[in-house]
Amino acid sequence: MAKQNTAVKNKSISYARWGYIFIIPFFIVYAIFTLYPQILTVYNSFFEYYRDGLTVVGPRFVGLQNYKTLFEPGAAGYVPIFKYLGNTVWLWLLGAVPQFLIAMMLALFFTSTRLNIKGQQFFKSVIYMPNLIMASCFAMLFFSLFSQVGPVNQFLVSSGAISTPINFLGMQVTVQTLIALMNFLMWFGNTTILLMAGIQGIDESMFESARLDGSTSTQVFFNITMPLLMPIFIYVFITSMIGGIQMFDVPQVLTNGKGIPNNTSTTLIMYLNQFLGISKNYGMAGAVSVLLFIVTAILSIFVFRTIRADNK
Amino acid sequence: MKKLLTVLLAVLMVMALAGCNSNKPEPAPAPTEETTAAEGSVLNIWTWNTEFWEFLGEYYADEIVDEYTLKKGDVTIKRTTYPSDGGAYQDALDAALLNQANAAADEKVDLFLAEADYIIKYTNSDATMDVKSIGVTDFSNTYKYTVEAASDANGVVKGVSFQCCPSAIIYRRSIAKDVLGTDDPAEVQAAIDSWEKFDAVAAQAKEKGYYMINTTNATFRIYSNNTTSPWVKDGKLNIDAAIEAWMDQSANYAENGYTAYTSNLWGDEATSEMFATGKTMCFVGPAWYFNFCMGNAQDAEKGCFGDWAICQGPQAHFWGGTWMLAATGTDNPTMVADIMNTFINNEEVCSKLVSEKMQFSNNQKVNNKFAADASYGNAFLGGQNDTAVFAELAKNIKFQNVTAYDQLCNEGLQTYFQQYLDGEVDRDTAINNFKDYIRTTYPSVTVE
Repeated sequence: MAKQNTAVKNKSISYARWGYIFIIPFFIVYAIFTLYPQILTVYNSFFEYYRDGLTVVGPRFVGLQNYKTLFEPGAAGYVPIFKYLGNTVWLWLLGAVPQFLIAMMLALFFTSTRLNIKGQQFFKSVIYMPNLIMASCFAMLFFSLFSQVGPVNQFLVSSGAISTPINFLGMQVTVQTLIALMNFLMWFGNTTILLMAGIQGIDESMFESARLDGSTSTQVFFNITMPLLMPIFIYVFITSMIGGIQMFDVPQVLTNGKGIPNNTSTTLIMYLNQFLGISKNYGMAGAVSVLLFIVTAILSIFVFRTIRADNK
Repeated sequence: MKKLLTVLLAVLMVMALAGCNSNKPEPAPAPTEETTAAEGSVLNIWTWNTEFWEFLGEYYADEIVDEYTLKKGDVTIKRTTYPSDGGAYQDALDAALLNQANAAADEKVDLFLAEADYIIKYTNSDATMDVKSIGVTDFSNTYKYTVEAASDANGVVKGVSFQCCPSAIIYRRSIAKDVLGTDDPAEVQAAIDSWEKFDAVAAQAKEKGYYMINTTNATFRIYSNNTTSPWVKDGKLNIDAAIEAWMDQSANYAENGYTAYTSNLWGDEATSEMFATGKTMCFVGPAWYFNFCMGNAQDAEKGCFGDWAICQGPQAHFWGGTWMLAATGTDNPTMVADIMNTFINNEEVCSKLVSEKMQFSNNQKVNNKFAADASYGNAFLGGQNDTAVFAELAKNIKFQNVTAYDQLCNEGLQTYFQQYLDGEVDRDTAINNFKDYIRTTYPSVTVE
């Protein structure tokens, strides 16, 4: 009997070994393509290292000089990275708040056994569609649609709603709204599907018993759906936030990389990209990346903690 | 099922790794007996648009294989193109040139194109080579400034241009007639030969319901080409008085409605004014502008072909131009030299550039022949002999105050200043935003 037990034990150990072997490829790829560049980024951030024309300047160790430069105010009188961090968070919120509200609403509608909406698969595909388009293409499309001679202005002028074309791509309000709109359109389908999966994972008997006890829909939502959905909700929220901090392609393409107007739509990654443009300034870009990493980490921990604490 | 998935994932990852390898140069095929010439079988040309490529296909190659490939004898000519905007072309080209020594023979850059805005960066580097050493020696017919522009600080010539680019005011004949009562180039020129007169005509045009220029950026090159100091002086960003003057004029034109738009010169807004329905009287540009960039005006249905003419305008200037530079390390030096010689010294090709492509070639003899030919006229310009006009203007071209930073300084200033013209920021903020842009873009340039 005892012998047999050992045999079983050994067998399970050998399975575990296979498990490790199977995940080796991932770790190799991760180490080469993610971990190594990350370490290199931190390393580069302590060096003066860029190109002036075809001449490579550096690498020369400069300690924390790059970080110091990053916090110096520019000619416009503010510290660029602070303004761009603010822009990034603001642009993310503009898109994310409606995204979560609408997605939550749709997820509730689709999962409701009382509504029992027909053709769910169809709607799910449709709302997910925008996510399949490359963000840069999407932005380019909006760039053409909303130009002063584009179809939107043509329609508005010919219908008599306005007399002269609106400069959608030159004004802060409209540029920020368009960026938020695009991010919303691209991501609300994805969020809806994730939240739906979360809601469907909740035991149906909970809803039934609540209904039998005479709970209103509002009560069911706040006392059953939300608390039980929390783990999924936190996941969706944090991934959206990290995605938001890394916002790049949409504003970059829509404003041609210049964060028009007055750098109000310049995001952190666009700033990073400016350093990596023609002068390939690995030192400064490295410093921005490291700060970005720290900010993302802090925000993630903070959000995770608060939502968890509320939940308890 | 899980095992299958694991295997699938592993395979995918290996493929991803292999994918990363594909950028590495493959070993060059061993030269066969047939290609006895010591030179490569592939000639790589780098460009930011298709203008020169089309001429190369038509007047040099034996066969146009596809959009990116030509054949000349045994040699395959391949094109690599990146957009110029925001320095993307320079960026990619720099990376390729820095990797030139390690690239396989067939992957090496052999010939690349460069614009006046940044040519100095390449001529003053080891990435380009003396074209006289490969057999381009006859510059007797080319315009002097095109040779100066392609020379390094010691006067070593590194490339040639296939065009000469004096720039002119390109005006709509019908609108000029309505505003000035004449569409005769000499009379129009007399009416706009100084900035004061130009501004006065702008006011007249507005009264008649027209715009003087399509965008405030249209006149930028006239000013920027008449600066007395470079963008970067002693390592510091420097805004010349002529650039300030352009800003004043733009502010004035935007405020008074003398300009149709304040937007990007290449954008849909500015180019929409080229249609017959456009209300703009003056556009600015050299021969390449109306033959390559005024497609809307040449549109069979919506355009206004023939309703145009050119004159010098308020200030002489040149704009752009495309130089071919020989890349150090090329494995096709003979063909590189042959292409260069063809486009500057082959009179038949240069004549076709003028008569068939509306170019102003870089061969004075050919240009002068057309200029003197009373029967020659450009149909797009209502039969006007543009070559005669440009031949006069070419005498005034000075290649001066250029730096390697010009492209992004020119582009950047226009973009950031537009935000002031659009009323989104005040003038100082617009200029400060531009300065911050340069500070971020060029670590080697001091910005105060």
